[in-house]
Amino acid sequence: MTYEVLENKSSRAMPAAGFQVCEKLHLHLATFMGSTGFRTLLSRSLALSAAEVPWLRAVHINADWSLAGREELQAELGPDELFEGGVVLLANLLGLLVVFIGENLTVRLVREVWPKVPLNDLDFSEGGQP
Amino acid sequence: MKTKTKIKKQDSPANVTLPKKNMAKPAKVTIHKLPTGIRGLDEILGGGVPEFSFNIIAGTPGCGKTTLAHQIVFANATVKKPALYFTVLGEPALKMLRYQQQYSFFDEAKLGKAIRFINLSDMVEKQDLNAVLEEIIEQVMEANPGIVVVDSFRTVVRKAKADASELEMQTFIQHLAQFLTSWEATTFLVGEYFPEEMRDNPVFTVADGLLWLSQLTERNSVVRKLQILKLRGQASVPGLHTFRISGHGLQAFSRTLGLGGNNKGPELRRRLSVGISELDKMMNGGLFEGDSLLVAGPSGTGKSALATQFVAEGLRRGETAVMALFEERPAQYAARADSLGLQLTTPQEKGKLELLYLRPLDLSVDEITQEILDAVERVGAKRLVIDSLVGFEMALAPGFREDFRESLYRMIVALTGAGVTILTTVEVEDNFTELQFSHYAISFLTDDIIRLRYVEIDGQLRKVMVVIKMRGGNHSKDIREYVITDKGVVLIHPRSTDYEGLTTGIPHRTGPRPAQKEEAAPEPKALK
Repeated sequence: MTYEVLENKSSRAMPAAGFQVCEKLHLHLATFMGSTGFRTLLSRSLALSAAEVPWLRAVHINADWSLAGREELQAELGPDELFEGGVVLLANLLGLLVVFIGENLTVRLVREVWPKVPLNDLDFSEGGQP
Repeated sequence: MKTKTKIKKQDSPANVTLPKKNMAKPAKVTIHKLPTGIRGLDEILGGGVPEFSFNIIAGTPGCGKTTLAHQIVFANATVKKPALYFTVLGEPALKMLRYQQQYSFFDEAKLGKAIRFINLSDMVEKQDLNAVLEEIIEQVMEANPGIVVVDSFRTVVRKAKADASELEMQTFIQHLAQFLTSWEATTFLVGEYFPEEMRDNPVFTVADGLLWLSQLTERNSVVRKLQILKLRGQASVPGLHTFRISGHGLQAFSRTLGLGGNNKGPELRRRLSVGISELDKMMNGGLFEGDSLLVAGPSGTGKSALATQFVAEGLRRGETAVMALFEERPAQYAARADSLGLQLTTPQEKGKLELLYLRPLDLSVDEITQEILDAVERVGAKRLVIDSLVGFEMALAPGFREDFRESLYRMIVALTGAGVTILTTVEVEDNFTELQFSHYAISFLTDDIIRLRYVEIDGQLRKVMVVIKMRGGNHSKDIREYVITDKGVVLIHPRSTDYEGLTTGIPHRTGPRPAQKEEAAPEPKALK
């Protein structure tokens, strides 16, 4: 996420960085698992994340996979809350990938999107955050 | 550039003198063959998958189609010549990766650059065949792949059939095949088909190769078979071949396993000692090298002891051996042999002997043959024991038992052809009216037969043996009494002329009863 923020070079992008990372992942993952496949995975991640971050319950996934309700919430939420929501959503999305295809393949998929990001210290254990 | 060929302006082609080398018949095209990465399958295919061919991997659900496609992909994909794996409404890509990574052939380093998974589900769902074709063309032109897989192609066809005319469907398949071949890609369309669907289906007409996988449930066992129904440009092995799916993926067993190659065996065949000098004499000097010997007899007559002596003798002479055991565990077997002074444990440790324990109940003869051939090759075995045929048959899935004789024939021919001398034991029940050699009517498979049996003599149940047959050599016709001692099988008496009907098990004394004291039991273990 830090890498994505630095790449973006916009201070306004920081709170929504998690969502932006999900968007980039979508572009890549949809090629191999289909948009419908990615949408269902994101939907499950959102459901898991809403247990930790209640305001995510108001967010829904559109047919084109984009997140509905995020814009409205962005106005109401502070940047820290928004950032936290994005982090939790991304963590759950990557966590699900790890559950299904394992850590090695997940890291490989992420590396294909962000080849320069150092991923050696990722912690996918429970409680760890990618 | 100067040429030695002189062509006059007015010369007709018939008058042109071409250099000798140009007069030779033009070379025909060489079709390169891709390895499948599946042990045994290249041999069945006639060397591999023809390069640039358009193939179908078909079969019923769960028979291993996707795994087969993955093995081919992982065996061939490189960064320079990648593989494109299009998934369509079949097994979700995530689950496919989840399961396929369990196989040993799965090399995650190849994912991304050498192997690219592309999901066409959304496109098939929402658009028509032309859009699907365009997407495939675009991806292929961009990646320049060596291999293209569409899994499952059946779902593409099913969707298309609902929306498009038959002509459109045929056109789509024709264009797809033409395009992928022109782009020098070897293609595999994976689909769930049933045999009755082959008729009138355009995809089967267009395809160069058709690999059909099936699995049949026979009583409690599952038997997997594959057939090359079609393969243009090369001779594949016809018929149904068994295959197994393990942690290494598929392994195929050709129904002609071991029959290929130049198995002439040794030209001058030596005589081999069976480890019992008196029996060697009965066999006119021993067993011919490369022979198949059947030792038949009822339970407890010493078949395994004789087999062990045969192996121990080979080991003593510096030969290596394999024992395929179907009834007794190797540790028990070796311990019993050790107790007879026939050391099997040490040679195993030194790699001179391998004891194979084959007892699963759903094996095919071909799998067992492969296991034995592998072991024979590993240790360079010159002697092989199969103990016993009854156990061998029990280890087979019920569906394979019907083919037992045929398969056994192939295995024996393969092994003896390679110069291995085989001793096979078979249990037969003694009855007291005839002398059976085997329940399996396999005597024709063996070069030599030794029959062991019980006979009732003077109120004792004793044991006799006779050499029934020795192909290519004379042998003693004597019926000899033997005992099993702490040295193994020991022949104790010369032939007896005082009895007739020994082979019935209830002989009659014809000679004079010699004056004798109360006869001591010849079996040491019967002594108190």
